Amino acid sequence: MSGSKPDILWSPHHVDHFVICDSELSLYRIESVGSAETKAGALSLSEETAATLLAINSDTPYMKCVAWYPKHEPECLLAVGQANGRVVLTSLGQSHNTKCKDLMGKEFVPKHARQCNTLAWNPMESNWLAAGLDKHRADFSVLIWDISSKFAPEASIATEKIRLSSGDADSGLVVTKPLYELGQNDACLSLCWLPRDQKLLLAGMHRNLAIFDLRNTSQKMFVNTKAIQGVTVDPHFHDRVASFFEGQVAIWDLRKFEKPVLTLTEQPKPLTKVAWCPTRTGLLATLTRDSNIVRLYDMQHAPTPIGDETEPTIIERSVQPCESVIASFAWHTSSQNRMVAVSTNRAMTDFTVFERISLAWSSTTSLMWACGRHLYECTEEGGEGGAVDQDITTKMRQRAQSRYGHDTAQVWRNHLLAGGDDPQLKSLCILKIWSRGNRGTNSLWCILASRTLSSPPLARRRAGAVGVARTDRRMRCGSTARSGAWRCSCPAGSSAGPEIDVEPFLKSLEQEGEWERAAAVALFNLDIRRAIQILNKGASSEKGDLNLNVVAMALSGYTDEKNSLWREMCSSLRLQLNNPYLCVMFAFLTSEPGAYDAVLYESSVAVRDRVAFACMFLNDSQLPRYIEKLTNEMKEAGNLEGILLTGLTKDGVDLMESYVDRTGDVQTASFCMLKGSPGEVVKDPRVQCWIENYRNLLDAWRFWHKRAEFDIHRSKLDPSSKPLAQVFVSCNFCGKSISYSCSAMPHQGRGFSQYGVSGSPTKSKVTSCPGCRKPLPRCALCLMNMGTPVSSCPGTGKSDEKVDLSKDKKLAQFNNWFTWCHNCRHGGHAGHMLSWFRDHTECPVSACTCKCMQLDTTGNLVPSDSI
Amino acid sequence: MELHILEHSLKVASIAKEGIQICTHGLIKLAFLPSKTRCKFFSLTETPEDYTIIVDEEGFKELPESEHLSVAEATWLALNVVSGGGSSSSSQPIGVTKIAKSVIAPLADHNISVFMLSTYQTDFILVRERDLPMVMHTLSSEFTLLRVVNGETVAANSLGVTNGFVKPKLVQRPIIHPLSSPSNMFCVTSLDPDTLPSVATLLMDVMFYSSGVKEPGAASDDSGLICFFSFSLIEGYISLVMDEQTTRRFPNNVLFTSASGELWKMVRIGGQPLGFDECGIVAQISEPLATADIPAYYISTFKFDHALVPEENIQSVIGALRTNESAGQ
Repeated sequence: MSGSKPDILWSPHHVDHFVICDSELSLYRIESVGSAETKAGALSLSEETAATLLAINSDTPYMKCVAWYPKHEPECLLAVGQANGRVVLTSLGQSHNTKCKDLMGKEFVPKHARQCNTLAWNPMESNWLAAGLDKHRADFSVLIWDISSKFAPEASIATEKIRLSSGDADSGLVVTKPLYELGQNDACLSLCWLPRDQKLLLAGMHRNLAIFDLRNTSQKMFVNTKAIQGVTVDPHFHDRVASFFEGQVAIWDLRKFEKPVLTLTEQPKPLTKVAWCPTRTGLLATLTRDSNIVRLYDMQHAPTPIGDETEPTIIERSVQPCESVIASFAWHTSSQNRMVAVSTNRAMTDFTVFERISLAWSSTTSLMWACGRHLYECTEEGGEGGAVDQDITTKMRQRAQSRYGHDTAQVWRNHLLAGGDDPQLKSLCILKIWSRGNRGTNSLWCILASRTLSSPPLARRRAGAVGVARTDRRMRCGSTARSGAWRCSCPAGSSAGPEIDVEPFLKSLEQEGEWERAAAVALFNLDIRRAIQILNKGASSEKGDLNLNVVAMALSGYTDEKNSLWREMCSSLRLQLNNPYLCVMFAFLTSEPGAYDAVLYESSVAVRDRVAFACMFLNDSQLPRYIEKLTNEMKEAGNLEGILLTGLTKDGVDLMESYVDRTGDVQTASFCMLKGSPGEVVKDPRVQCWIENYRNLLDAWRFWHKRAEFDIHRSKLDPSSKPLAQVFVSCNFCGKSISYSCSAMPHQGRGFSQYGVSGSPTKSKVTSCPGCRKPLPRCALCLMNMGTPVSSCPGTGKSDEKVDLSKDKKLAQFNNWFTWCHNCRHGGHAGHMLSWFRDHTECPVSACTCKCMQLDTTGNLVPSDSI
Repeated sequence: MELHILEHSLKVASIAKEGIQICTHGLIKLAFLPSKTRCKFFSLTETPEDYTIIVDEEGFKELPESEHLSVAEATWLALNVVSGGGSSSSSQPIGVTKIAKSVIAPLADHNISVFMLSTYQTDFILVRERDLPMVMHTLSSEFTLLRVVNGETVAANSLGVTNGFVKPKLVQRPIIHPLSSPSNMFCVTSLDPDTLPSVATLLMDVMFYSSGVKEPGAASDDSGLICFFSFSLIEGYISLVMDEQTTRRFPNNVLFTSASGELWKMVRIGGQPLGFDECGIVAQISEPLATADIPAYYISTFKFDHALVPEENIQSVIGALRTNESAGQ
C-alpha cells in the first residue's frame, strides 16, 4: 500500500462503512442507490449501491499499513504503520469520545527506525497492537504495544535523547517501550493473532513462520518456509492458515505445522492479497499484481488436513469485479460473499461473488439445487401425467415395485407387471416363454438366419431342433404347414404336434380383440373365408369398428386376375388404411408372387409376424437375406422385438445396447440378459454394467428387499455372481474361525447356521467355541451367549425346505442373529439391539458411550419397499 | 543460535578512484534499479583510497573489465548469525560485539580469514568458499548451521571433515596494525526502498562526486576528517553509512533514524593495505570491545578495516585498544 496503490478496509462494526487508504485515509459510507441518488457526489459502486465520502484524514504521511480497532468504542480508531516504523493512532470523522481523544495522535516508536510492514490488533485484548517491522541488527521485529499505556518515566528520559525529532515536542504522546518484544534479529512481514488463544501470535518472519506465545516469550514454534507473507487465519477453521510467497499460496494446519497441508497452483505474477471469506467456509480469495480478476479457491469439500494424505479437491474459479486492474479488495464482514474491490485509479466496485450452484437429481426424479445458504426443490407445475411419469426411472421404479422380471414361472406375465403398454416388452416376454425350458432355442433364429439357411434344407432340418424343422416341413407340405411358422409368435402352441392347427391361435387373438391381426394371420394361412369371418365378428363385437365390415366386403371381392379393377383399387387405396394389418392383407393379395416387400418391410407389423410370413412365403435364397437385413435393422434401432432374431447372444447384447442407449431401461436389459445362455453373454462388460447399475438404482430407491430378490434371482441364473463370504466369526480365545472349527470336526455334524441363525433352543444350542470350548460372547442385553436364540421368539426347528417362509418367521430368525458394533465391538442379538436402539442412542453396555447406531448411516434409513 | 550460510557467491573488488567513471553505469544499475538485474547482494563502500564493491556473481556481470578494477581472487560466502528469536533480553550489544566471541574469535583461532560487512540490518561475515568446511567444523559446536538453498533454509549437513585439523592454540591477540580515528561522526541508517528513487540523484552525488572539491585523500590528512560512505542493497534491504554532515542533505523523514539518534565514530585499522590472507584482525579489535561491552559496526574494505563505535565510547575504545596494542609490543 505504497502511495499509488490503494487498499481497502471494512469497518468491523458498521456494516456500511469502509476506508480507502493510499496517501490519505478516506471514509466512505455505502448505501443502496435509492437513498443515495439524491445526494450529490455519491460514487456509484454497482447497479444497486453507491458510496458517499464521509471524511478524509491526511495527517499521517508515509503510510505502510493500516489496521482498524476491533472494538465498538471508539469506533473509528485506526492504527497506521509508517515507513519509519512508527505506529500512529488516528481517527476518521468526528468522535466525541474522550477515550478516543486521549488516544488520537499517540505514537509508538521503535528503538531503531525501519519500515513497519504490518499491524494487527488483538481481537480480545483490544489494547494490544502488534506491529511487524523490518530487520534491524539485534533489534526486535515484532513489537506489541499497549495503546493505553501512559508513557513510562524511563520513556521520558529516552525522549531527551531524541535529537533528530521532528515535531516530537508533544512527547507525551510518544511511547517507546513496547509491552513485548519478539523476533530479535529478524524481519517480520505479516502478523495475525490466533483465535485459539489471545496470547498466541502468528508471524511471517524473514524465512520462517513463527508462533509466539506471550505467556512464555522465550519459546516459539516455527517452521522454515518461504511462504511468509500475508498470514491469515481462516475465520471458520481456527487451525487453518493461509500465507503466500510470490505466486504461491500455502495452506497450513497449525496442528500439523511442519509443512503446508496444501499449496495452491502457482500464479505467474506475484500475489498481493489473500483473504478468507468471513461469510462462507473455506473460500479463499487471492489477487495477483496487475490483474483484473480475483481468483477464488473453494476448499469447502477439502478433507481435514489431519491424517488424510489424499489430494483434496479444490474448486478454483475467477471473478472479475470490474474492467480495470484491481489494486485491492476486501470481503464484507457480514453480507454473504460480498466484497468491494478498488482499482488502481481508485474506482470502487461493490461486488457479490455468485455462489456455485450444485444440482442433484434424486433417484425418484425430484430435483434439488443449492445456492449459497438456500436449498431449492424443483416442483413441476401441473405435473399430472406429465413428463415425469413418462420418465424411464419412474417406469422402472413402478415396475420394480410390481416385481417386474421376477415372475419366472409365467414369464409372459412380466409385461403386464411392466404396465402392459409397451409392445416391445410384450414381444420380449412372449419370446421368453417360447424359450422357456429350452435355453438353447434362444439362439434358434440366429442359427436360422446365419447358418442353416445357407445350406438348405438338410442343415436346416438338423438345426431346427424344435420349431424350424416344423416350419421347414410344413412349408413343403403346403398351406397347412405354414402355420408352423406362426408358432414362434403363438404363446399357446408350445406343445402342439406336427399337424399344427392355426385355429387356437386365431381364437386367442379374437379373445384379445386383435381382429385385424387375426384376420391377417388367417389370410396368410390362405383362409380368406376365415379372415372375413373374423372381421365380421370384430365389427359386431362390443367395441368393434364397423369399418371392419367394409374391409371384409373388400376382401371378399378378391380375384386372381392380374388386371382387374379390384386389384388396381386395392393396391392404391390400401395405403389409406390406418391399421397396418389390414394394410398388409391387401398388400399380400395384390402383390406379385415372391415380391412381398410391402408386407415384409411394413414396420408397424410385429417382427414375429413378419418373420413368420417370411418363413412361409420366401424361398431359401430370399429368406436368409431378409432375416439378416431385418436383424441389422433391429440391432440399429434397438428394437426388442429383434431379440427374436438375435437370441440372447452377442448380437442380442448389441441390440440391447442400442435399446439401453435409446431408453435407459437397464432393468429390462438386466433381466433379459441374465437369461443369456452362453456364459460370455452375462460376462459381457456391458451386461455387467447394466446389472450393476440396476442394483445401484434399487439401492438408491431403498428397494433393498427387491435388490436382494434380484441378487438371488441372478445367482440362480449366473452362479459366478454369488458373493463370497464377507463376514467370518472367530473365537476370541483361540482365534479359530467358529465356522471353520465346525467343518474341521465333522463328527459334530453341525453347520454354522446353527450358531444363532436357525438353531432350535433344544437341539442346537452351541454356546461355546467348538475349537477351545470357551464360551462365545454374550448378548449385551439378555446376557446369553451367542448361539442362544432369543427366548421370546418361538424356535424354528423345522429347518426343512417345506417351512413356510412367512414374514413373521423370517423376522424371528433375524432376531436370533448376532450383531455387533464395529466401533466398540459390543453387540448381541439383532432383535435385542434393534429394540434397544429404538429408545437409546448409546451402546447398551454400561460405561460405553459409543453411539453405535448413529455410526451406521444406512442403519437409520428405512427400506421403502416391502418383501 | 543459528548460523545461516547464505547462498550468494560473492566477489570482492576494488575500483580505483580515477577509474570510477567507467563503472558508474553498472553501479547505478545495481544500486538503484534492482529489478533490472538479478543481483541480490550489492555493497559499495567509498574510502579515500578506492571504492570497494562486494557483489554476487549475477551482479558482477554488470561490471566491465578494466585495469582500474581489481578483484580478490577468491569467491566468498556470507554468514549471518540469527539469534533464533528465543532470547528476549532487551539489552544486547549490537554489531560485531555480539558475535566477537562466538564467531570471530574461533575463526581467528583456526586461521580463517574473514571479511566483515556490517549493515543497518545485520552483520555479514564473509569467508572464502574454500574455507567453508573448516568454518562449519569450527562453528558447529556453538551454532545450528543452516544453509539457504533457493530461498529455503535447510539444515547444513556436516561435511564430516574432522581429521587433520590442528587444535588451535589459544593465544593473546595483540593489535598489530596502526589505528587512526578520524574526527567526523557517522550515521548508520536506512531508508524505505520505495523512497529510493526520490533520493537517487542525491545518493549518486554522494557516491561519485564526493571528491569533486578536494584532492583525493587530502581530507583525512588535513582536517582529521575522512571521506567514507557505504551503501548496500542486500536482499531488498538498504543500508547506508555516511558522515553526519551528509545526512543533513536528505529530506526529513526519508532516512530511518533510531529513537536515540545515536552517532558513531570510526576507528580505522591498518597503515599498509591489509590484504586478504592475514587473519585475526577483526578479532583483535572486536574482542576488547566485547570485553568492554561496547557495540560496534565493522566494515572491511579492499585495503583497510573500519570499526564504528558510539561517539560517547570513543575514548574508552581507544583506551582499550591501546592497552592491547601495548600488550603486543
